[in-house]
Amino acid sequence: MAAKYLASEKLPAWLAELAASRVVLVPVKERDAVVFRPYSEGVKPVLDRQANVPPKASIFPASESLMSFKYIKNPEDLGQVAVEVHETVDAPPTVVFGGRPCDVRGFNIFDRVYDCPKVQDPYYKARRENTLFVTLACEDAENACFCHWVGSSPSDPVGSDVLLTPIQGGYLVEDVSKRGKALLSSKLLADGSKRSTEAKAVHKAALESLGEVWNPEKAPAKLLEKFDDMGFWEDVSAKCVSCGACTYLCPTCYCFNVTDERSGMKGERIRTWDNCMSYLFTLEASGHNPRPTKAHRLKNRVGHKFSYYPDIHEGIFACCGCGRCIKLCPVSVDIREIVRLAVERPTAKPEKS
Amino acid sequence: MPLLEELKAQITRRLPELDLVIGWGQGYDPLHHTPVFIKTEADLDKLVFDPLCVHNLSTYLTRYVHGKKLGVVVKGCDSRSVVELLQEKLIKREDVVVFGLPCEGVADLGKIKRALAEQDLDIGRVRTVSFEKGSLALTVAGKNVELPMSKVLADKCGRCKYHNAVIHDEFAGQPIEGQSQDAYEDVAAFEGQTLEERMEFWREQMERCVRCYACRNACPLCVCRDYCIAQSREPGWVSQRDGLEEKLFFQMIHATHLAGRCTECGECERACPVDIPLLLLKRKLNKEILDLFDYRAGTEPDVKPPLLSFKVKEENINERGW
Amino acid sequence: MTTLPNPYLPEIATVVETFPETPSIKTFRVVLNNPERMKAFSFKPGQVGQLSVFGVGEATFVINSPPTRMDYLQFTVMMAGEVTSKLHSLNVGDQVGVRAPLGNWFPYDTLKGKSVVFVGGGIGMAPLRTLLLYMLDNRKDYKDITLLYGARSPDDMAFKYDLPDWTTRKDMSTTLTIDREAPGWEHKVGLIPNVLLEMNPSPKNTVAITCGPPIMIKFTLQALQKLGFGDDQIITTLEKRMKCGVGICGRCNIGTKYVCMDGPVFTYAELKQLPNEL
Repeated sequence: MAAKYLASEKLPAWLAELAASRVVLVPVKERDAVVFRPYSEGVKPVLDRQANVPPKASIFPASESLMSFKYIKNPEDLGQVAVEVHETVDAPPTVVFGGRPCDVRGFNIFDRVYDCPKVQDPYYKARRENTLFVTLACEDAENACFCHWVGSSPSDPVGSDVLLTPIQGGYLVEDVSKRGKALLSSKLLADGSKRSTEAKAVHKAALESLGEVWNPEKAPAKLLEKFDDMGFWEDVSAKCVSCGACTYLCPTCYCFNVTDERSGMKGERIRTWDNCMSYLFTLEASGHNPRPTKAHRLKNRVGHKFSYYPDIHEGIFACCGCGRCIKLCPVSVDIREIVRLAVERPTAKPEKS
Repeated sequence: MPLLEELKAQITRRLPELDLVIGWGQGYDPLHHTPVFIKTEADLDKLVFDPLCVHNLSTYLTRYVHGKKLGVVVKGCDSRSVVELLQEKLIKREDVVVFGLPCEGVADLGKIKRALAEQDLDIGRVRTVSFEKGSLALTVAGKNVELPMSKVLADKCGRCKYHNAVIHDEFAGQPIEGQSQDAYEDVAAFEGQTLEERMEFWREQMERCVRCYACRNACPLCVCRDYCIAQSREPGWVSQRDGLEEKLFFQMIHATHLAGRCTECGECERACPVDIPLLLLKRKLNKEILDLFDYRAGTEPDVKPPLLSFKVKEENINERGW
Repeated sequence: MTTLPNPYLPEIATVVETFPETPSIKTFRVVLNNPERMKAFSFKPGQVGQLSVFGVGEATFVINSPPTRMDYLQFTVMMAGEVTSKLHSLNVGDQVGVRAPLGNWFPYDTLKGKSVVFVGGGIGMAPLRTLLLYMLDNRKDYKDITLLYGARSPDDMAFKYDLPDWTTRKDMSTTLTIDREAPGWEHKVGLIPNVLLEMNPSPKNTVAITCGPPIMIKFTLQALQKLGFGDDQIITTLEKRMKCGVGICGRCNIGTKYVCMDGPVFTYAELKQLPNEL
C-alpha cells in the first residue's frame, strides 16, 4: 500500500483530473441536506459530515430500466402484434468521492446477493465493475453512528479503492485495491509515507469517539426466538409511521420493485427501490398479506439485517452502522435499541396458535 | 405545580379509561425527542415536555382500530389536527382524550443545524442540551454553545395564532396570552417571483426527493397511506420512475388533497430526510382557501370544512366571472 | 466467474391456445418464439415461471403441463389482480414474456417406488397436475397413485378435460368432491379434509402432496397427521408475492428461506422449521 499526500488546496484539481474521463460523484449541500452530485468545476464537496443520502444510487439507481419493449403491429394483419424486447444496461465509468466507509461497506452486503454463484444481476455487476470508491475516513463519530457494532470502523477500508484520511493541511491518500492504485499516479499527490502515523492517530481517535461497543452476535438467534412474540414487535414499532426513509437511505437495503411503465406502443420494465415497511410490499393479489401490520414489517426489516442475512452469509450483518435510519427517521426509531432489546428482554411465550 | 407534573397527574387520573396515551420522551440523543406510548403509570417517567417536542402526535390517532381509547398530548398546533380529524369524522370524539398544553414554540432542528454549522460544529455530535431563559444551551465537541430560542424557533411558531390547545379534555399549565398574525407573507414573497423562477426552485428541490413518503406518513391528515395513489398501479396515475415529474406530481396530489385540511403543523417538512420545503406548497393552497372561504383548518370542531360542504353560491367565488 | 444470463430478461412466447377452466380461471398454452430455445427448454415438475404482459407486469405461476409433454407450456391463471386480469383478456397469437423455470420442484426422483396421495383444492390442483401427469407418463416408477381433488362447486372445478381419464384409468384412484350438493353431481360431497379422513389412505411408504387455499391446507395437514403421515411425508407448495423470482428483491422470504428460490415446494417438516409467517 502506497501512502500519498494531497494538500487541501489541490483537491479541486484532483477532482477535475478524475472527472476528465469519468463521472465523479461528490457530496454537495442542497439547502440543509447533503447529497451526491456529479462533480464539475466550481462544485464544492462537503467533506466534514455524512451525506443525508448515501451514494447507493451510483450502483443501484433509485429507478432504472431493466429492458425496453415495443409492440409492432403487422401492417398486413393489424390483429397481429409482435413484441420486441431490448436489454438496457447503463454503466458509465464512475468514481464515488467522499463517501464514508459505512457507505461503501453497503455494497459488500449487496455483492453476496447480486453477484453470487446462483445468480448474477447484470445491471448491478456492470456498474459495480465500472465504479471506484475514493472513501473518506471519519474523524469523529456522530451520536447515531455504530459502525463498530457491526464489525466495521470509521476507517474501514473494506470495499474502497482508495482511502483518504484527513490530516493537518490535507489528506493522506492510500490505495486499497489494485484499481485504486492506478488513481494514485496523479502528479498532484505528493509522497505521504512519513504521515502514516498521523493518519493512524486520526483512525484511533475516531474509533474511540464511538464509545463502547455492543456485540450483536446473539441477535440472529434471539430475533428468531422473538418471531412469535408479537407484543414485543408491537411495542418497538409503535412509533413507526411506516414511511420508507430508513430503507431508502440505508446503504445496505437492496430490495426492489419491478413495474412496467407503458405509453402507447412502447415502454420499459423498470426496477425501483422498494420499501419493506410499506403495506404494499408483500400484499398479494388475493388480498392476503403475510406482513399485515407495521409490527410484522419492522420485525422483517430488523430480522433481515440482524438474523436472516447473517444466517445465510457467514455471520455478516446486513447493516453498516451508518445511523441514517436513526437520525433521519421522522420519529427517531432506533434500530440499535430494538436489536438490543431483542437480545436482552425475555421472550414472551407465544400462545398456542 | 410544574406543567410536566400537572400533565403526569392528569394522565395518571385518566389512564384507567384509556388503552394508551401518546406523549413525548427522550430519544437517541439529547437533541432528539421521540414519541412514547404510555400504558402504565410506570411509563410516565419517560414523559418530557420542552421545545424539542416537535412531533405532532395526532398522526397516530388514525392508526389504531376504531374503538381503541387513546390519549394524546398536544401543543396548540397539534390540537388543530385533532379538530380537523374530528371534523372529518376520521376519529370519534369518545375514543380520544386530549391532553392539551400551552406552547411558546418548538425548535427547528434544521435551524439548530445551521447555527452550529456557522461555528463549525455538527448537530450529530451534540452531547448535552438544556433550556435556560429564552435560550438553548448545548455542548458539542467539548464546546459550550448558547443559541437564543428566537434564532432556532420553528417558522410556524413565529406566526402562531394558537399557542394553547384549541381542543382539550385536560389542560396543563397556564394558557399563553397573545397571538401572532399570519398573513401568508412568505407565500406572497415567493409568488413575487416569475413562474419560471418558481418552477426552477421546485425543480431543484424535488431533484433530491427519494420518494420515501415520510412527508405523507408523518402527516396527520394524509390518511390513505397504505392505499396511496402514488403507488397504486390501478389506477396507474403516477409512474414508479424517479423523474422530476413523478416526484413533483406526487407533491401536487399531496398538497391539493390537503387544501383546506392542512393545519400547517409542518410535519411533512420536518419529516423530509432531504430538507425539501414542503410546507410552502401546503401554505400556498391554504392561502387560497383563506382568501376564498375565510377558513383556517382545524380551529372550530363544529364547523364543516368548506371543501367538504356544498353551497349553491359561494360568497367569494364568482362562478360566471371566469 | 462465468457470466450467467440476465435473470430478468424474459423469453418472448406466443399464446397458442387459451380457454376458460372456471368462471374465474383461465388456462394459457404458450410456445417460446425461438424454436431452438423451446426445444432446449427443460424444467422439473413443480417449478414456476414468471408470465408477463409487457406494459402491465409479471406474475408467478406454476408450469402445470408436465416436462414429458413439451408441445407447449401450460399456465392456469385465476383472475385476482392487475396482471391476471390482463392475462385473462389475451387471445391466441398474443405475445407474452416467460421467465422460467424458477424455484425448486417436487422430489419426483426420491418418490420413485413410493405411493403418492395428491390432495388438491381449487386452483391448487395446478401444481399437482404437473407431477401427476409426469408420474402417469412414467407410471412404472411409482406405486399407488391416489388423487383427491375438491372444489367449491362443479363450476369451480378446473382441468375438467383431465377428469374423464383420471376417473376411469385403472392405474390410479381418483375421488372428486364439492363442498355442497349440486344438481347432476355424481361424485362426493364434503370438505376435502373430511373426505380425506374417510378415504383413510395408508401412510406406509406413501407421500402426500397437497396444495390449495390456506384454510384447506391447514385442515388437510391436520387430517394427514391424524392418518399417521409423518412431517417429512407431507409436501406442499407455497405462494407469495414475488417480483424478481431469483432471491434478490426481498419480499417472498420466510425468515432465511426465499419461496422463489428455496421453494415453492416444502415438506411439512421444512415448513415447521420456518418462522410462522404464511
